[in-house]
Amino acid sequence: MIPVEYELILSTALFCIGLYGVMVRKNAIIVLMSIEILLNAAILNFVAFSSYAPPAGDPAGQVFALLAIAIAAGEAAIGLAIFLALYETHGTTELDKIRLLRW
Amino acid sequence: MLENAWLAWMILGSPLIAFVVVGLVGRRLPEGGAHVVVGSLAASLVIAVYFLVQVLQQGAIGNSTATTVPGFTWIPGDPATGEGAIGMNLLIDNLSAFLLVLVSFLSLLIAIFSIGYMHEEAGKPRYYAEIALFVAGMLGTVSADNFLQLLIFWEIMGLCSYLLIGFWYHKPEAASAAKKAFLVTRVGDVLFLAGILVIWNVFHSFRFEEIVQKIPVLWGGAYTPQLALLIPLFLFGGAVGKSAQFPLHAWLPDAMEGPTTVSALIHAATMVKAGVYLTARSFIFLVPIATGGGILVQAVPWNAILVIAGIGAFTAVFAGSMALANYDIKRVLAFSTISQLAYMFLGLGAGAYLMASEAAHGSTEVATAGYSAALFHLTNHAFFKALLFLAAGSVIHAVHTNDMRAMGGLGKLMPWTSKTMLMGALALSGIIPFSGFFSKDDILAVTFETGASNPLFYLMWVAGIGTAFMTAFYTFRMWLMTFHGEFRGHGHPHESPRVMTSVLIVLSVFTIASGAIAFLTNGFGNLIFYEEPHAALPLITPLLEANVVELALTGLSLALALAGVGLAWAVYGKRVISPSTFTKTPTRAFLHSMLVNRYWIDDWYNAFGSRTVAGFARAVDWFDRNVVDGIVNALGRGGVVVGALSDLFDRKVIDGAVNSISLETIRSSLALRTRQTGQVQNYTWVIVLGIVAILVLAVLLGILPRILGRP
Repeated sequence: MIPVEYELILSTALFCIGLYGVMVRKNAIIVLMSIEILLNAAILNFVAFSSYAPPAGDPAGQVFALLAIAIAAGEAAIGLAIFLALYETHGTTELDKIRLLRW
Repeated sequence: MLENAWLAWMILGSPLIAFVVVGLVGRRLPEGGAHVVVGSLAASLVIAVYFLVQVLQQGAIGNSTATTVPGFTWIPGDPATGEGAIGMNLLIDNLSAFLLVLVSFLSLLIAIFSIGYMHEEAGKPRYYAEIALFVAGMLGTVSADNFLQLLIFWEIMGLCSYLLIGFWYHKPEAASAAKKAFLVTRVGDVLFLAGILVIWNVFHSFRFEEIVQKIPVLWGGAYTPQLALLIPLFLFGGAVGKSAQFPLHAWLPDAMEGPTTVSALIHAATMVKAGVYLTARSFIFLVPIATGGGILVQAVPWNAILVIAGIGAFTAVFAGSMALANYDIKRVLAFSTISQLAYMFLGLGAGAYLMASEAAHGSTEVATAGYSAALFHLTNHAFFKALLFLAAGSVIHAVHTNDMRAMGGLGKLMPWTSKTMLMGALALSGIIPFSGFFSKDDILAVTFETGASNPLFYLMWVAGIGTAFMTAFYTFRMWLMTFHGEFRGHGHPHESPRVMTSVLIVLSVFTIASGAIAFLTNGFGNLIFYEEPHAALPLITPLLEANVVELALTGLSLALALAGVGLAWAVYGKRVISPSTFTKTPTRAFLHSMLVNRYWIDDWYNAFGSRTVAGFARAVDWFDRNVVDGIVNALGRGGVVVGALSDLFDRKVIDGAVNSISLETIRSSLALRTRQTGQVQNYTWVIVLGIVAILVLAVLLGILPRILGRP
């Protein structure tokens, strides 16, 4: 059985990679992908603790993971739709070109 | 008790209604509403006669017939006992019932006369409305059952006299005469009011009947001898003002500036007679009061009675002498009114003194001779003075002047006026058998009789008998100057219209006949004095009992009156004596100018007014301008300074704070809004850094488990 620490380290690594992508990359698609990575890091935590924390074999963590995956799919769909609309109106998906939330 | 007593209110209510009607819609009525006023006065007369008949029948002449006609309670008194209540009620007794008839009758005649006299005047509705109110005031005065109510109606009359004397208000003389009448009578009214306040403080009642009952109870207690002297003097002060006695006589001659009908009303029926009436009503303070155990003589204010009689005697001579040298027909009559009113006061004073001194000597019979003589003279004077004034008005209507030097010879041109005025003149002079003779002789007889108790009354009798001579002289001087000789004026005078002459004829009949009232009732006192039957006239008594002294007195006063008439005839009729004889020597000229200038009393009053009063007013004015205004202005300036400071504080401190707060808000927000870049990733950075900072802080502070919800 893989020790839970390994799984948590992997999850943390994934989270940091996702966070880096969200904060640094300019392309909106890549930022969306990074958000997916962030989500997956969190889902990995659910699964890890589900098999590790007593009582063992509690399915709650796995159910949460499945739910989160489903929602993440919806979220990705909505995000892509927004970017599509952005591209149609602004002709770009570069985030530093889009300043609609400005004062 | 009287039948239909409530109707008594209509005696004064009817002219009041006429006042309102004429005052409101008189302009649209023919003759300015004269007929409404005449009708209302006729209604008053009918009701007044109805009550007089009842009083005479039920009182069976000589019995007490006082009836109080309840009105309403004006100010409720003690809730338990009802004491101290002030009401408005009418007192109908012999005296008031008789005077109601007299007043309404004469006012009616004068109102009828006015239809002719005022025909060509503008402002007739005003005239008739004021006449109606004036008469209502007098009717209310003589029927009031308490002093306060009397004062109210008394003041209504004062107001109306002001309005009517100033009827031609565009004439400066008329306007100032109206003011003079108002102000001079006001002096008396203030005294009257003071007397009323003293009465209230002593008796806690204004009602004549209650006061009479309380005098014996309160005597020695609240009613002290000083107050007993003070109250009648205060009340007499009011009478002096209203009846134009010395020293408040100055307004009456000037009051001649009003229409002659107003003068007739003031002199005959209303106003000046109210003073005599008030003094007659205040007899309750002057004469001994019968109590259960005897007669209370101690409360008699002898000095107050002497003052009343003395002022009467003095004013009689004083005013009579001023009439001797006057050329204004109305002013001669005005002075004669003052003089004749003074006779009435003399009679009241002498009568009160006689009554009191006889009671003091143990006599149980009430001597009412003076009282009834004075009121008899009031009645007779009312008739003949109304006649004289209206006849004078008829003359003035014809020649358009008051100056007797511009008249003369009118006897042929105005036969009715001349003859009726002769009746009045004979009555005023006291020639037998005209009415004035009986009452004047009555008063003189009472005065002489009182002389036995106090020799001062002999002196007053001499004054009275001297006045009788002067009265006869100036009356016939006036009549002869007006109607005898050649016409000295301009124009073509003609007899007045019938509406005027018929009134004169009616009045002359009454002038002759009013003397007979006393014979019909076996002494005038029986008509107006209740409680005690009064003996017959002094004139009849000596004739029956052959009292030589009194017959001689009567003969003396008659002889002096005839002498006066004779002297006037010699000077102005036959011209045997030239009028310039009276101004030949310096002494005579001085006396003449003294009389013409009315003893300079009016000048003194004017000087008093223009120097003392105006000087005082100037001093007060200076004080007002410099001291009071100074204080007020300083306060005002202080207020301005405080206001400026407050304004400054408001602008600088409060507005400054508010403005700078908003300015800083704007400035800081201008600086801060640049932080809102619109770059999503900038916001992400802030969020991440914030979370990291919170976590680091939580770890450093060791509170991470608590944040995570773990113990």
